[in-house]
Amino acid sequence: MNDPPREIIYDAKPELAAPGRLLREIFQDLFIGGRELAWRIFVRNLRGMYRQTLLGMFWIFLPPLANTAIWVFLRSRGVFNFNLVGPNGSTGVDATLYILVGMIVWQTFVEALQMPMNAVSSNRGMLSRLNFPREALILEGLYDVLLNTVIRSLLLIPAFVFFSGSLHSGFLIALPLFGLMILFAVGCGLTLVPLGTLYHDIPRLISIGLPFWMIITPVIYYLPNTWPATLLNWLNPASPLLVATRDLLLFGTTEHVAATVVFSLLALPTFVLGLVVFRVSIPALVERMVVS
Amino acid sequence: MSSEQAILEVDRVWKKYCRNLRRAMWYGVLDVASQFRFRRASRPPKELLRPGEFFAVRDVTFSMKPGECVGLIGPNGAGKSSLLKMITGLIRPDAGRIRISGRVGALIELGTGFNLQLSGRENIFINGTVLGLKKPEIERAFDGIVEFAELGAVIDDPIKTYSSGMRMRLGFSVAAHLRPQLLILDEVLAVGDVRFRMKCFQHFNDLIQQGTSIVLVTHAVGMLPRVATRTIVCEAGRIVFDGDVQRGLTIYEQGLVDQGNTQQSPGEQHWTRARIVSARTVDQAGQEQTEFCTGDDLRLEIVIECETPVREARLIAAVGSPAAETIGSMATPFQGFRFDLPMGRSVFELTLRKIPLLLGAYYFDISLYGPQLTDFCHRRTGIGGFRVVAPPIDVNGNGISGLICFEHGWRRRE
Repeated sequence: MNDPPREIIYDAKPELAAPGRLLREIFQDLFIGGRELAWRIFVRNLRGMYRQTLLGMFWIFLPPLANTAIWVFLRSRGVFNFNLVGPNGSTGVDATLYILVGMIVWQTFVEALQMPMNAVSSNRGMLSRLNFPREALILEGLYDVLLNTVIRSLLLIPAFVFFSGSLHSGFLIALPLFGLMILFAVGCGLTLVPLGTLYHDIPRLISIGLPFWMIITPVIYYLPNTWPATLLNWLNPASPLLVATRDLLLFGTTEHVAATVVFSLLALPTFVLGLVVFRVSIPALVERMVVS
Repeated sequence: MSSEQAILEVDRVWKKYCRNLRRAMWYGVLDVASQFRFRRASRPPKELLRPGEFFAVRDVTFSMKPGECVGLIGPNGAGKSSLLKMITGLIRPDAGRIRISGRVGALIELGTGFNLQLSGRENIFINGTVLGLKKPEIERAFDGIVEFAELGAVIDDPIKTYSSGMRMRLGFSVAAHLRPQLLILDEVLAVGDVRFRMKCFQHFNDLIQQGTSIVLVTHAVGMLPRVATRTIVCEAGRIVFDGDVQRGLTIYEQGLVDQGNTQQSPGEQHWTRARIVSARTVDQAGQEQTEFCTGDDLRLEIVIECETPVREARLIAAVGSPAAETIGSMATPFQGFRFDLPMGRSVFELTLRKIPLLLGAYYFDISLYGPQLTDFCHRRTGIGGFRVVAPPIDVNGNGISGLICFEHGWRRRE
């Protein structure tokens, strides 16, 4: 620890007054200062999380499996009969596989969206007592989301085999789109951190609203590229990248090209904007944190 | 002190808070939004207050040189924690500027980030990383940390099996191996037993010798002289004293005594027949005197006003200190001093000869009774405050310390 002395200034000036320096510090803390800390917290949480459970890591599989089972059951009973025809009228994908893929992508979107608020909420003690690269909490949260997604995606291997699904070359585009969807969701979650930390109504509203949000998002049904259905895709931030990822995985193509391109281009700026909001809001949030 | 030498400069810093939670939440939204206004007109700090807000830190200025250990003391609500949080960068000042030259290590609460299900070994690596140490640094310091915490035999057990004292020792030990240029310690001195505490003091003294500056916040002020080289006393968000440790401690205690003076408890407002109007320490000529040396004579002047005569009245005076509460008490009948209280004003004088009290602030609790235990007239607590300002004490085992100076002698028996 023989670093040369560095000068630190704390004053009332907005950090955004020097945007270049702010961005440099954010990315430095995210990828250099906070990398080791993020990894240690990730490993700590992983070791501690499932230690007192009987089912262990099976809990990662359970939500999409249970949701898929429920929707497949409801569909088999004729409770709902959404169209599962693919892009350009293509068919041949089993309903269970279709819903399972949708559920896995949706679950990832939801986790990524809620991650920043959960990260702040579960680390109140550290945030209000220690000055460390706070972006480490976001990086650690991303590790969590990615691990859960990878483990959940393992379900797709037997599912594709069992339901005779074929993997299209669109898979290669689906993967980066899936990554951009995660970044976009984390970015949205980060911008919600100030409001969600100050007003606990926000995370509660999100939790309550998720089932309804899922219904208006084409997770368990196909969204045709016709008016007014396509409006749903443009107005619902969860929809475009989710639909494109799922369509490319199952059918190798998607009809919603424009929305996919626009939201793909928005993903990275949204993530960066979220990081900035997170960074500049933390001191004001720490001031008002009640720590038991 | 030139600014080139200072490791910490706090320059005219202000911090405001809001006690009303709902308002505080809304102000939080506004504060975050204001971060996106690139240019803000700077206003005088006093114009920054919004409805319901108050200043927890007001216009605080001080600086520190390398190798200084400053004890930051003051009663609850004096603004110490807010100041520390600003110095550690947890919250931002609303006005003013803090400049730090060097690496900061902060111990606001020991063991923050511990996972109880993991072993001591795993937690050392986690806690070390949280505090800013790199993996090779932790690996190098690992044996020293375990040895310092005296937990070698149980280091691979989950720390949920540790006692709270063991967890504190582990947390302290990890933090003790930080090598920052500025170390901030908030109420972490009461760690473990006396032997471990002495080890901690030794460690701090070593750090100071090596040029580390320490800011120390504690209510256990008796420990301060062991490490602090300077004291800053805060009251109501302002610095009221900055200088010598022992003088700072007496001013801090005097503040507590004064607080007791001005805050008369509801019970003290009730009296029957006669009341104690005032009590003050005076010199030979009857002029008020509040500073004494150990061994001086002290006179206390007590003024009583009587509405209904009290026969065979009794006065009881107790000397107390914020650190020890009641030190000794004396009542008029003990010396056969008997008196009646006629209507009107009476003045009494209590003389304490060769006061054995050591450095610190003290006060009197005075009660007035009739002849029986049930003949209560009036009681005043925390009045007649005075300070003992000399001789200096030594808490490192080379002089006298504590509250009382015993008349004593040492000899070796043959």
